[in-house]
Parts: sequence; structure tokens; C-alpha cells
Amino acid sequence: MTFKIAALVLGSLGVLGILLAATGVPVGQALAEVIRASLGSERAISGTLRETTPLLFAGLAVFLALRAGLFNIGVEGQFLVGALACAVVALAVGGPLGIVLGLLAGALGGILWALPTAWIRAYRNGHEVITSIMLNNAAMLFATALVAGPLKAPDQQSPSTAMISAATRLPNLIDQPKLQVNLGLLLGLVVALLLARWLARTVAGYELCAAGANPKAALAAGVEVKPTLLKAMLFSGALAGSGGAVMVLAFEGRFYQGFSSGYGFDGLGVALLAGSNPLGLIPSALLFGILNKGGTAVQFLGVPKGITYVLLGLLIVVVAAIRYRKGGANATAD
Amino acid sequence: MPLPIEVLAAATAARAAPLALAALGGYTSERAGVINIGLEGKMLTAACLTAVIGARTGNAMLGLAAGIAAAICLSLFHWLATQTFRVDHVISGMAINAIAFGGVNTIAAKFLDPGATPPRLPDPPFLILAFGLPILVAYGVSRTRAGLRLQAVGSDPEKARLVGLNPVWVRFGGLVLTGVFTGLSGALIFNGVGNLTDTMTAGRGYIALAALILGGWRPIPALLACLLFGFLEALQLVLQGTSIGGVQIPTEAWNALPYLATVVALAGFVGKTRAPAGLGKP
Amino acid sequence: MSGVTKRFGAFTALDSVDLEVQAGAIHAIVGENGAGKTTLMRVLYGALHAEPGGHLEVHGTPATYRTSEGALAAGIGMVSQHYGIIGELTCLQNLIVGAEGGPFLHGAALRDRADGLAKRMGFSFDWNAEASTLSPGSAQKLEILKLLWRNSRIMILDEPTAMLSPADADALFESLHRLASEGATILVVTHRLPEVLLHCQRVTVLRGGKKVADLDVSKTDAAELSRLIVGESLEELPIPVSAATSESALSAVDLTVKGYRGDDAVKGIALHLAAGEVLGIAGVDGNGQRELIQALCGWVPFHGSLKIGSLDASHLSVKERIEAGLRLIPEDRLDEGLVEGWSLEQNAILGLHWMPPFAQKGTLNPEARAGAAEAMARRFNTKFSSLGQAIGGLSGGNQQRFVAGRALSGEPRVILAFQPARGLDLKATREVYQAIREACTGGAAALIVSFDLDELLTHCDRVVAMNRGKLFEPGQEDSRDRDAIGRLMVAT
Repeated sequence: MTFKIAALVLGSLGVLGILLAATGVPVGQALAEVIRASLGSERAISGTLRETTPLLFAGLAVFLALRAGLFNIGVEGQFLVGALACAVVALAVGGPLGIVLGLLAGALGGILWALPTAWIRAYRNGHEVITSIMLNNAAMLFATALVAGPLKAPDQQSPSTAMISAATRLPNLIDQPKLQVNLGLLLGLVVALLLARWLARTVAGYELCAAGANPKAALAAGVEVKPTLLKAMLFSGALAGSGGAVMVLAFEGRFYQGFSSGYGFDGLGVALLAGSNPLGLIPSALLFGILNKGGTAVQFLGVPKGITYVLLGLLIVVVAAIRYRKGGANATAD
Repeated sequence: MPLPIEVLAAATAARAAPLALAALGGYTSERAGVINIGLEGKMLTAACLTAVIGARTGNAMLGLAAGIAAAICLSLFHWLATQTFRVDHVISGMAINAIAFGGVNTIAAKFLDPGATPPRLPDPPFLILAFGLPILVAYGVSRTRAGLRLQAVGSDPEKARLVGLNPVWVRFGGLVLTGVFTGLSGALIFNGVGNLTDTMTAGRGYIALAALILGGWRPIPALLACLLFGFLEALQLVLQGTSIGGVQIPTEAWNALPYLATVVALAGFVGKTRAPAGLGKP
Repeated sequence: MSGVTKRFGAFTALDSVDLEVQAGAIHAIVGENGAGKTTLMRVLYGALHAEPGGHLEVHGTPATYRTSEGALAAGIGMVSQHYGIIGELTCLQNLIVGAEGGPFLHGAALRDRADGLAKRMGFSFDWNAEASTLSPGSAQKLEILKLLWRNSRIMILDEPTAMLSPADADALFESLHRLASEGATILVVTHRLPEVLLHCQRVTVLRGGKKVADLDVSKTDAAELSRLIVGESLEELPIPVSAATSESALSAVDLTVKGYRGDDAVKGIALHLAAGEVLGIAGVDGNGQRELIQALCGWVPFHGSLKIGSLDASHLSVKERIEAGLRLIPEDRLDEGLVEGWSLEQNAILGLHWMPPFAQKGTLNPEARAGAAEAMARRFNTKFSSLGQAIGGLSGGNQQRFVAGRALSGEPRVILAFQPARGLDLKATREVYQAIREACTGGAAALIVSFDLDELLTHCDRVVAMNRGKLFEPGQEDSRDRDAIGRLMVAT
């Protein structure tokens, strides 16, 4: 089995190498550029941490659903709707109150978009992956229709809302000309810590994990499985929506067409790499932040951004295969 | 505006055909017990290679062959990951979609001259395949040894092992067929679009999967579900730009129609259909 | 076969076992759970690979097959304990799958041959019916036809009567005698000694993965066999003394439960369980036992009324019933009782997790949990390396010990047990039943469902039969009469 895993890793590296070689950029040079652009300077680090923030929220959302045995592929849509709802509220209500209400609106937007998926999964036995992918597409169209139509600010060229005021932004914790770290990242870290504690130390967290790991045994143990699944999915939606809201309040200051560069999908990779501990999400999100930031930079060398998705996909399979190997091999006699 | 029935029917058939082929690809995989979220990626890759190889060689048939071969390769990657490495079927499927998207993005940017116009095959043979193959497959599953074994493995791999079947190799066959059918589907999608982008398939792989589920994991009902989705997509073409009660309906609303219909359909019907019992089991 | 050794990791399941079987005989393989019976048969059937060094000859020629497919080709077929019938396929599809006789299926020709085989054995089947509708008895018959379809000359049957009523079991052995007289060789794995003595010619006894005896059935008896099986003589158990009191622990009136097919699986039964009593429910699998337990636990809705002690439990949730003292040793521990990937510690509180001392105001108490896990594991000597180890890594018997320990911890009022001895050897079975009895002497009551009538008669105060959704109480003079209760189990 070790041999098989080694073969898988080598095969994956081979595929990646061939693809990279085909683009004509030396592997070493591309790798160096990724590191330089993501960690090579204070400015680069600021950018990487900025990327890490939404990834952490998206990862948290996927992670929580996974604990309940659900694949929330809908994080992308919930993230978008949360961001949009936050932008609308923050534009209407300014100042610190706007920040609080904006975050709340983001969470609610995420919950709203997760609701059909959650209900269909828990009570109609419809697989969450398909409904949530459909709702991702719908969210994209819905958001586009709004920012190109009624919400479009007259002074913006492309479909976008107006800018929210400076007083309605999440402040930077470190605010130097080159190095900036926003409160949003801290919020994400705090949520990760709280989630870890909640899962390990509360009855509700225990029941959520039981429902995810073995629904029949959970039912026998008195867990109301269907409501638990519903709540887990909504909670996950709230985290995704909050991520969108933080993105608006901390970095973008507005909502526009093409707001998410696929954070929801990246969140899947973040969560799958993190393993079973929510604190694992932090290094995992950082790694994806580096890849995202570095991946954008290597485009200027002539390496298409898409190659990071190939890397991501291969990484997910390799990690899942290794994890199976570690968890498996429970052969017993008779 | 009056709706010309022929226009609507032709548009429905054109939209349903790639869905039907993809749903059939999903069938041969899921009937053997392998969950296949990765239809989308296989279709996209097939469409991409059909375009690139077609343009490079100037031969549309070679393009098609390359597209199918690529889809088979991805399908076998899924087989390897789920059967040998025991990766969760949904995780592997999503990973394949990511790899396909990234790969197509890379290839489209690097290997296709912006000005190149890949040759295209005529549509009618594809339509015949799309609507004929499900019937053939339905017949084959009930009347051949291979079909019976496919069903047995998908229903209960453990017990199938007891009668001397090897689920891993039966699934190999099922997944090769998945590659062939999704390959055809991808080539057909490229034929319809005509120029290569990484969003060409636009989630049709997932809609095909929804059609398979609505059809209760049976080829012919799944074909009917594809026709329904095809009809909804066709309808948006005809209805675009119309207004209801004086209010202009945005294009996006019509575009979202098939997606929302899928959600509603899943909410309403899935409880009544039955999935192969061995779905996702090792 | 000779010198067969099989290891699972560090565990040696078979230690250099020799086995010789006469053609045309019915040969029994007996031994405790975990003695290696099934493992040996699976090696013979090619489903498991023995360690190098063993040797196998079939009808005098060395056999080299490495798969079940190869074994089938060599004329060896096996019916496993839980049957190999695939519920979603039709009876005919089940009969032929794996041996279809060509790439295309010719319905009429296949059906003719199937009918011919069925006629030969005196069976009849609706070939187009879905196999999930078959009763255990019919499924067993279909399994035998599957062996004939494949022209198996050596037939292995693993615990073939485990799910059968006494009458169906007799019919089965009648068929086996007929097959043996036609020249087939039959290997029967069983733990029921009467079957061995009545129907088999030779018997091989396995213990701890080793062969301890190979005897002519005519030259041995039940006492000798059970001594060989256990290795030490277990003292005869006295007829249990009931600690039943006049206080009611559980009572159900007019209880009706829908089965998964939509019909009534439990039909208006009345059930009274006194505090201190150990009640056994005997019956053939599929007569409503499962639905009864599910309804009592609160997993499925039911009509009628239910009381736990003096508390009206008809509308209580699963949790409220557990709080009232209801505990379950479930039928399928991995499915209903444990989370495979979790540690012993995490599993220890499953089903008790919201109550003190394990939780207060919604917050878990890890110290209480660790202590309880230790105690539950010690109760029946669960073998484990650390409380943090995943429970899926334990053997089935050890998992069952742990689940039983959990159900009996704290102060249960009513213990429901579905096949509590599943996967346990004789010694552990006794320990579990003794623990249940101790709890009952302390005022609890127990309701035990088992498909093994002998086990219930050995350990319960009172045994009733469940048949087609109803309970039947044997008459006063028949209350411990094996045959009388057996008749109630299958009467129509």
C-alpha cells in the first residue's frame, strides 16, 4: 500500500510536471515566483493574508458541514449571497452599527441560500451536492442581475454596487504602508478556535459529529438526526455568508460582478486538507492563500492560473488516499 | 410572440442530447456503485480536446477520438482513486472537476490559437446516438451477462464477490463506458458552442446527474428527465426579453430556470425513487 | 487440505489446520465463535488466501485456485451465513449471476433450467419476484439451487440454520441428505450440536484456530463434543431462578408497528414485563422482532400505549426513554451502537452523553467520560490497547462486550437486547447474560430477542414466541418445552 501511495504521488507530480513543462516555464522558476509573490515581501505577505481570510471562512463552512457528513458544495453561492446582503445593509446603515448589521446580514444571507439544500437533504432525501451546485449557479445569476440592474451604482463602470463609507469598514489591526493585517483575519481565527471548542466540548457539537459519523447510531443514542443535519447545514451557510461579509467589509468595500474567484470551491480543498481538527484549517487556508496569490503572479510568466486547480485536485486525492490508509486496515477475523 | 413549435422542439432536442449522453455516462458508473460527481469535468475535458486536436489536425473525427480518450482517462482516474485508493467517491469526483477545469483553462490558454476555428462534426449523428443509446443500454443491462453483473455489483458488491464476481473490474468496464458517453457529450457541447472556453459545459454535468436521479437510476426515465431539462433550457431562449405584466424579466432569471427546476424536482421526487443499494460501497 | 495457516495482522486465525472430507458425506465443522470455522471455509472457497505452506487437494488433484471464481470452477460452492442473495435482483438473476453461461441472457432457456433444478429439489420459485421479498427459508433454498446451478460437487454451508425455524431447518437437512445421496459432498459449519448428531457423518472440532478433534459422529456424543469445543467443561447451568416481582417495568397494550413494506409488522400485541424478570422472545428472523424493538426504543412511530414503570412512554422521545432507564444492546453494533472511527472514550457516552455525569448544561465533562469508558471496557474484559484507540480496530466480540458494558452501566430500568450474544464465545455469552441477570436481580427487567431458542431457554425466566407480528405464550406445562415453543414460532 505504501508503494501504491508513492506511485500515486509520483504520478501526480508527473502530470503536474508535464503540464507545467508544456507551458514552457521551468518548474524551478515557477516555484520561485510563487514563493516570491506570496511570501517574498511585506506587501506580498499582506496580499497572502488577505487571500487567506475568505479561504479560512469558506474552509470553516465546508468543515462544519463535513463533520455532519454533508458536502456543502454550496459555499460559493452562500458566500456570494452573504457578501451581497452585507453590501446592501452596509450601504444603507453606515458606521459601526453598519458593520455589525452587515456581518449579521451576511450570515443571514448565507443561511437563506443554504436553506433549500439543507431542507431537501434532511427531509426530502435529496443529495446536497446537486442542489447546492444548482443554487451556486442561481446565486451567480441572481447577484449579477442585481448588481447589473437595481443595485448598480451610477458612477461605476462595470456592474457593481457603490462603495461603502470608510467608517463602515473593518479596520486593519496592523496598518503600515506595506504590511496590513485586517481584523477580518482575526475574526476567522477566533471562529476557528470557538468551533474547535464547541465541537469537542458541547453536547450539541458531539451530537452533530455523531449524526455525521453514523446517523443510525446517533438516532439510537437519542440524537434527532434530521434537525441536526438541517442546523449543521444552516450553520455552515452562516459561516460562508459571514466570509462574504468580511470580504466586503474588510477588503473590497463593495459587491460586484465576479466577486468571488472561487473561494467556495477552494474552501472544499481547505477543509479536506485540514483533517478532523478545525485548527488544521488555519495552516490549510494559509497554504491555499499562498497558492492563490502565487498562482496569480505566475500568470505573468505565462503559466495559466488553471494549473493551480490541477494541483489542488491532485492534492485532494493524494491526501484522501493517505488518510484512508491511515484510518483503514481494520481487518478482523470471523 | 407566437412560439413556433418546430423551433422549440429542435432547440429542446439540441439541448437535451448532451444531457442524455452525460446522464447515460452517469448511469453506467452509478449502476455499478460508483458515485460520479465528476461528469462535468469529463465533459469539459472532452470538449476541450475535441477542439484542440480537431484544430491541430484539421480532422474532426480525430478530435472526437481524442475527446473520448481524454474522458476515458479521467474516468479511469476516478476508478483508480475510488477502487484502489478507496478515496471517497464524492471527493474524488470533485477533485476531477477541479483538475479538468484547471487543465482546460491551461490548455485553452496555451494550445489553441485565438484565431483557430476547429472543424465541427454534423449534429444529427450525435442526436441519433443521444436518443438511441439509452434504449440500447437499457436493453443491454437487462439482457446481457455484462449488464447483470453491473447491476449485481452496484446493488451489493460484498455479495457479488461471493458469487465470484470482481467488483473492481466490473466497475472498470462501467467507468470506461462512462468515459465514452461523457466524451461524446463533451464533443457535442463543443459542436454547439463552436469556441473553446473553460465554462463551456456550464454545469450540465450536474444537471445530467440530477436527471439520472429523477429518472430513478434507469436509462429511459433519465432520458425523459433530460428532455424536460432540455425543454426548460430551450424555453429560456424563446422567452428571453419578454416581459410579464409590463415588468422586464432579466435574462438571468430565464438562465436560472433549469437550475431552480432541478432543485424543485429534487425536493419533490427523490424520496420516491431508489438508488442502487451499493452506491459508494467498496 | 493440510497445513492451513491464516493470519490477520498479528492474530493467527488458523494455525496449521488439516482437514480431510470424504466424498458424498455430510461433514460438520464445529467450534466457538472465533475458533476459525468460517475462516477455514473461506480459505477453501478461495475468498481468503492462506499463508504459504498449506496444501489443498480436491478429488485427489492438487488445487491452485486463488479466487472464489476458481473455487467455483473446481466445483466448490459456499453459502455464507448471511446469504449471498442480492435483494434488488430477481430470484432468477440471483440464481444465474456469475454463472450466466454466455454473454447474452436467454430468458426462456434459463428459466427452463431453473425450473428443472427446483423441481429436482422439490422447491418452487416465482423467478421474476425481487429477492428481497424472500423469507429466510426460501432464501436458503435459493442458495442451494445456486450451488446446483454452478454444478458444485462440494458444498459449504456456514451456519445454514441460524435464521431458520426448526421446521425449515429439518427440511433443509432433508434436502442435504438427498444431495449427499446423489454424490455431493457437504460441509456444514454450525454451533448447534443436535444437528451434528442427527444429520452428519463426521465432525471436525476447531478451537482457537487449531484442529482439536476429527471424529465419527456415531462414536461421540453431545457431552464429549461440547467439552472439546470449549476446552474446559462448563458446569451445567441451573434453571434460572426468576427474580420477578409484582411491579411492572414495561407494559405495552395493543402495540401496532408498521413495517418498512407498509404492512403491519407488529400486530396489536400486549407485552408485560415485571421488574426483576428476564423475558426471551424467540422467533424466526423477520417476524416483527426488529420493529418491536425499534418501537420500544422510540425510533419508529407506533399505535397503542407503552409504559416504562408507571410512566406513560407512548409519546416520549428516544432521549426521554433513555432518561427513564431504557437501554439497548442493539442488533448490529457497528450500525446502531457505535461510531467505528471514534475512540472507545467517545463511544462510551454515546446514548448517555447529555446526562450527568457526562454533561452539565450542554457542556461535556471529559473526566467523567474517561472513567466511564474504562469501567465499561473492564466489565466484560474488552481487549483494547488504549481508550483513545478507534473502536473499529477491535474485534467484533470485543466491540460487543463494550456495547453490553455500556448498556448495563449506570442504573438501567429496562434492558432491551437484540441477539446480545452475537459474536461472543460461550464464556462471554454467559457473562453477558449473568450481568443482565444481576441487573434484574437489582430491580431492572430485561427483554431479549434471539433467533436461538436454546440460548433463550438457558438464560431466560420466561420465553414467548413471536410469529407473524404476534406474541404467543406457551402453556404452563410447556413453558420450557423446546418443541412446543418451536411450534409456536412457525404455526400458521
